[in-house]
Amino acid sequence: MNRVELINISKSFGGITALKSVTLKVMPGEIHALIGENGAGKSTLMKILSGAYTKDSGQIFLDGSEVQIRNTHDSKKMGIGIIYQEFSLVPALSVAENIFLNQLGATGFWMKWGRMKKKAEEIIHSIGFRIDPSLRAGDLSIAEQQIIEIAKALSENVRVLILDEPSAVLGPQEIQKLFDTLNRLKKEGVAIIYISHHLSEIFQIADRVTVLKDGSSSESLKVSETDRNSIIRLMLGRSLDAMYPVRNSIIGEEVLRAVDIYLANKVRGVSFSLKTGEIVGIAGLVGSGRTETVRAVFAADKRKKGKIFLFGKENQLGSPRKAVMMGIGMVPEDRKKHGVILPLTIKQNISLTDFNGISNHFGFIKAKKERNNAIGLITKMTIKTENENQEVSKLSGGNQQKVALAKWLNMDCRVMILDEPTRGVDVGAKVEIYNLINELSQKGIAILVVSSESSELMGICDRILVMRKGMIQGELEKKDYSEEEILRLSIGAN
Amino acid sequence: MKIIASLKRYLQFFVKYNTSFIFIIMLVVSASISGVFFTSANLFNLVRQVTPVGIISMGMLLVILTGGIDLSVGSIVAMAGVLCSLFTHMMSLPLAVLASLACGLLVGSVSGYLVSIHKLAPFIATLALMSIVRGLGFIFSKGAPILVADNASALTDFGSGNSLGIPNPALILFLVFAITAVLLKYNVFGRIIIAIGSNEEAVRLSGINVSIYKFSVYAIAGVLSAAAGIITTARTAVGSPVMGVGMELDVIAAVVIGGASLSGGKGSAINTLLGVLILGMIGNIMNLINIPAYSQQVIKGLIIIIAVLLQRFQSSNI
Repeated sequence: MNRVELINISKSFGGITALKSVTLKVMPGEIHALIGENGAGKSTLMKILSGAYTKDSGQIFLDGSEVQIRNTHDSKKMGIGIIYQEFSLVPALSVAENIFLNQLGATGFWMKWGRMKKKAEEIIHSIGFRIDPSLRAGDLSIAEQQIIEIAKALSENVRVLILDEPSAVLGPQEIQKLFDTLNRLKKEGVAIIYISHHLSEIFQIADRVTVLKDGSSSESLKVSETDRNSIIRLMLGRSLDAMYPVRNSIIGEEVLRAVDIYLANKVRGVSFSLKTGEIVGIAGLVGSGRTETVRAVFAADKRKKGKIFLFGKENQLGSPRKAVMMGIGMVPEDRKKHGVILPLTIKQNISLTDFNGISNHFGFIKAKKERNNAIGLITKMTIKTENENQEVSKLSGGNQQKVALAKWLNMDCRVMILDEPTRGVDVGAKVEIYNLINELSQKGIAILVVSSESSELMGICDRILVMRKGMIQGELEKKDYSEEEILRLSIGAN
Repeated sequence: MKIIASLKRYLQFFVKYNTSFIFIIMLVVSASISGVFFTSANLFNLVRQVTPVGIISMGMLLVILTGGIDLSVGSIVAMAGVLCSLFTHMMSLPLAVLASLACGLLVGSVSGYLVSIHKLAPFIATLALMSIVRGLGFIFSKGAPILVADNASALTDFGSGNSLGIPNPALILFLVFAITAVLLKYNVFGRIIIAIGSNEEAVRLSGINVSIYKFSVYAIAGVLSAAAGIITTARTAVGSPVMGVGMELDVIAAVVIGGASLSGGKGSAINTLLGVLILGMIGNIMNLINIPAYSQQVIKGLIIIIAVLLQRFQSSNI
């Protein structure tokens, strides 16, 4: 018997249909992968199962009997646990309090600190990690926060566990531990729904896979009986031979040279150079200092030490403003917090980097010019939107990322720094972003890409720097590219 | 079902333009409970009363749009009023006015400097200045109201006079409102102020010098507060160190009734002006029908709660 059956679920928001009679059946002791492009309806479907949304029509069965899930409280009582992409931890509370947040009231009036900490520690150990339960959740790294989210779900005996893109913020070793945990839960008979963009993970961990495309579900396929290309065809409606663009840009003189950069104790003596038309990648595990390095170059954080040369001349680039004035643009790692301004429109976000072109001497904005400029970039970047006055918060992740990129195309960039440019972005938008990066480099722009996906770096970069513990551990030329080599350098193995 | 749907649409419309609706309701209610309300004498009186709060509210709106707050405005009103009266005894009138405005600018700049460069919480920085500047007002005036010099009658004439049939102070309020409205809607300055209130870090990483903008909103609020102090002095011919006590709260209330969000990024000049008028009308009509001052405060508070609750509906999209 199936643990969960979602039968002919439909849901629309206003006039937009998000799900068209979708069916998904998951057995106990099964890891069922749910994949599809952003906007395909994965999150909507899972939010219906967890009670965050209510379905328009269709039925939900749990262990054979039909259930009504009206709110998140209902789903929790039925043993459905969900780990969202966006974390729901309370930063000011301790790890232990976060894990038992839902149960705090149930233990009586007084906090039982000792017992709570001990139980929290047990749960964290049981999934293979060591995190002090008395630390503040807000002080943890993103990867550690993810682990606490999982621990939190496990603290309530779950029958169904939903994970939405759990690996996005984890390094390879942490992902392995996550998989071990999932396999253990599977043996205990938990039904696991695993949402991911990473096909390789699905082949590693899932038993069956269901593809969502434009709100409709495919047949569930046995992972052992299918292959990458068939899944990609189901997702895109086309195969993905040409995922990465052909590199043929002309690499010219040196544009930027960073010498001996230090930042707090995260970056310890990093030096590298960038040439016109070149795409250079920075690989490394979470916490290896990749993001901190590019933030130091852009002066988003204050460098402790180090020199930066632009076209051979030393330039301290004391603030992001000075970096931008010298023609350096940066798309930061955290799109929603740093990359775009969610409550503003697409147009207003795009204009932010360069008001000179669209305003007069007194700072008055030339409305028509601004509008045309925005429309031009929306078309060029194929941002899916009704018009340029759409709030960025209403766009999907991929389209938000395109806005974060578009704002730098607005000005004459000579160096572009892209930190995780495709995180949380669907395959279709990924391809578009790769093509755009390639196109920019053909125009002579020097590009620095930070990414956790080594296949992505190997696909688009001319050179890859691998970082470990705040230092550059090695540099790979195209002929030496391999995932094993990148991993070997990033974990410092011989 | 159809009736409910259309009711819902009306309700949404009401919630969206709640500030305007409250304003209209206040007008209708005021006119119907007091025959005197719509006389020109009373309306002039109303406009004169709200002018100081109105002028400052435009500066406060800019500060609140960046996500800040300025508690020192009431104290600046008193200090600028006292100084302006004092200066009329020492120098020519235009110089006296300019010097008092400059003092307002200086105080605002100190707040701006503390907030933008030293990253002090705006509440704390301006709370400190509120106390310092209030004290300075008493020191400069030695604790007593100061009469405007006899040879500066141009100031008092201006304060109590009309141009084009409208009280002069109200014309200044309108000018300040118009400039603020245009800046916010059509100018890069306004655009960046709103963006900073929505997401300061994203603005900084876009290569914009956030500090300059945060600094300038406090400086502007300082100048406008001084202007309000000078106008009050012009109207009463006295600069008193106890002017504007608690005024910062009226100003903030007006901005909030006008729909601005205290966390920044949301608010408009026209709605703020309506907020000022709503607040002014409450006081005005209650005076006309002889409601005692203590009850007035209670009713004022209730209306603030209602206005903000309506805005809450708006953001939760009924």
